[in-house]
Amino acid sequence: MASVTLQEITKQYEDVTAVDDMNLEIRDGEFITFVGPSGCGKSTTMETIAGLTLPTEGTISIGERDVTDLPPKDRGISMVFQNIALFPHMDVYENISFGLRLRKYDQEEIDRRVEEAADVVQLEGMMDRMPKEMSGGQRQRVAIARAIVREPEVFLMDEPLANLDAELRVHMRTQLQRLHRELDTTIIYVTHDQAQAMTMSDRIAVINGGVLQQVAPPLECYNEPANLFVAGFIGSPAMNFIEGEVIDDGFQSQYTQIDFDPETHGVTPGQDITVGIRPEDVFLEEDARKAASPTKAFDAVVDVIEPMGKEVNAYLLFNRDVEASAEGRGEGQLLINLAPDTDIAEGDDIRVVMDRENIHLFDRASGDAITHSLE
Amino acid sequence: MSEKDQADLAAMERTDEPDLDRGIVEAWAAKMISNPDRAYRATFYVATIFFLVTTLFPFYWLLMVALTPRNRLSSVGVLTPGGFNPGAFVEIFTRLPFHRYIFNSFLIAVVATVIVLLVASLAGYVFGRLRFRAKNVLLLSVLVTSFFPPAAFFVPLNRLFNRNIDILRPLMQDGSLYNTPYAIFIPLSALYLPLSIFILMTFYSQIPDGLEDAARVEGTTRLGALFRIIVPLSAPGVATAGVLTFITVYNEYFFSSLMTDGRPQSWAPMLEGILRFQGEFEVLFNLMAAASIVAVLPVAILVIVAQEKIVSGLTAGAVKE
Ligand SMILES: Nc1ncnc2c1ncn2[C@@H]1O[C@H](COP(=O)(O)OP(=O)(O)OP(=O)(O)O)[C@@H](O)[C@H]1O
Ligand SMILES: [Mg+2]
Repeated sequence: MASVTLQEITKQYEDVTAVDDMNLEIRDGEFITFVGPSGCGKSTTMETIAGLTLPTEGTISIGERDVTDLPPKDRGISMVFQNIALFPHMDVYENISFGLRLRKYDQEEIDRRVEEAADVVQLEGMMDRMPKEMSGGQRQRVAIARAIVREPEVFLMDEPLANLDAELRVHMRTQLQRLHRELDTTIIYVTHDQAQAMTMSDRIAVINGGVLQQVAPPLECYNEPANLFVAGFIGSPAMNFIEGEVIDDGFQSQYTQIDFDPETHGVTPGQDITVGIRPEDVFLEEDARKAASPTKAFDAVVDVIEPMGKEVNAYLLFNRDVEASAEGRGEGQLLINLAPDTDIAEGDDIRVVMDRENIHLFDRASGDAITHSLE
Repeated sequence: MSEKDQADLAAMERTDEPDLDRGIVEAWAAKMISNPDRAYRATFYVATIFFLVTTLFPFYWLLMVALTPRNRLSSVGVLTPGGFNPGAFVEIFTRLPFHRYIFNSFLIAVVATVIVLLVASLAGYVFGRLRFRAKNVLLLSVLVTSFFPPAAFFVPLNRLFNRNIDILRPLMQDGSLYNTPYAIFIPLSALYLPLSIFILMTFYSQIPDGLEDAARVEGTTRLGALFRIIVPLSAPGVATAGVLTFITVYNEYFFSSLMTDGRPQSWAPMLEGILRFQGEFEVLFNLMAAASIVAVLPVAILVIVAQEKIVSGLTAGAVKE
């Protein structure tokens, strides 16, 4: 149990700045998740907290202690590594008990704790296996057991569930949440899986290019993204963006026009802005009542339909002349979510409305959010 | 297709070719060509036997000489001894304290190996796993030491070790290192260190960073991670470096003979002992042979014990896990 504070942390490698002036306060007992594209500096931040890399600048405190210059063993942390890193010359029992044996716990205590940890990750009866005799998922579970067995103040977990099958992943997810509740430890977590990030975390820290973009509870990141990057990164499928300009009575782009009063939303006519709208906030005109506050209807053509089971993704073009880009998210294109029983076909002409309550405006120059609702 | 072509084709398909008249060699060659596996196997056996004979025959002949009684040494055959006198193997210990010479060499080799492995492990870790400025320059200067002929160091070292050094007085009777094991294993350790540094550096650099990181998070220092994780995982490399150092120091003659006065109690090495059987008026070849065989035993045992590791050490890098 301890808070973790990063102050102006910068990590500079020869040619890249992996972490750029990061300020972050992680509360005692909090479950925080780092998300961001590959190579954005998540692992580097973890390693800096662990003490495996020294920051070029800045200080780190765990609890009340400034640990910037302490070696990893004195920081009261444990870590699940992205590359698992089990000791190949030790069997499962020796791997899990390594830290306890170093700290000279008595044998009974070690056995008890190892058994408990093995129980949590469902590894009973595998104590004599060597790492190379195990599957990727089993190794990952050993790595988790090795981390939890010491009951440290802070857990660092770098994609700990990446190699597990769907069922085991859901199981481990619940186990980790239970563990978090029972031990009341601070957990710093990295994942590429949005479902994990959304369901497990108290807060999400979105990182891009080494720069912290937003730190907020999952739903806040989803509903009130701080900038274009967070808006596009959180949520799957991603938010639609329409680039355009503020005019005297609203927003004008090549294919669309949305009415609002610029002054109430703090924009000035002539300003370059981007409108963001999530796929589930666009409706067919006949379903307009589902929207809290529908805009006027736009013409569109159905380009591609992807039935997903519980919903249908439809890629629309604003008119028949729009060049459809390969990923279906270019200028003049719109992705919408529809109910699975919606009766539309590729090539249909349809009319859609957006929900004004969930239209986001971003300043294109800075990328920062201006408003998250036009009401 | 013409008739001639068809005839050629038919000839190619016939395997027995009965109308060709062949000598024994040609027949043998044809058999090998049609059955290359046999040829490979035959070559393998020929090569293996050749190497075994060239490496083991000297030992065999050493044994023949050792078993021959002294007065019949002139009649040792190429393959048979000139008599049967196993007593030579006892005589080497009664005539001289040869066991003491072996013990001297053995102890010096063990101490040198331990020192070399310890220091080379630390250096190998630094060169293999850390990044710092001037690393290559430093590494090169370490390696350059091993390019010098050992004789180049002898004169200054001999002068140094023969001098009485006051701070050593509490340790050494006369404050000089001459006639002590220190005079042998200190220079030898230093001389054979670069090779071991190089071997261990190569091995240590291949251990993934993640393993060291994991060990350090679990609670070791860097040094702890080196000896608990990196060294055990590099066991073949450590065994190779250790055995190579042991053998070279154990067999070393130049320094070992010049840094002592040759008496067993002055820490004279095994080779010095063997040469002691060469008296003023006669050369006891049978005893020298017997002593050589006995002297080689510790090394032989060591190599047999460590051979599995050494083989994988010498061939490591071929396949990376
Ligand atoms: N030891 C290193 N030396 C030089 N550059 C490095 C080093 N480690 C990481 N980097 C660089 O720092 C940046 C951040 O790397 P990091 O491993 O933190 O990314 P990540 O967010 O964990 O990515 P992923 O999601 O793929 O694991 C990358 O551009 C990477 O190339
Ligand atoms: Mg990473």
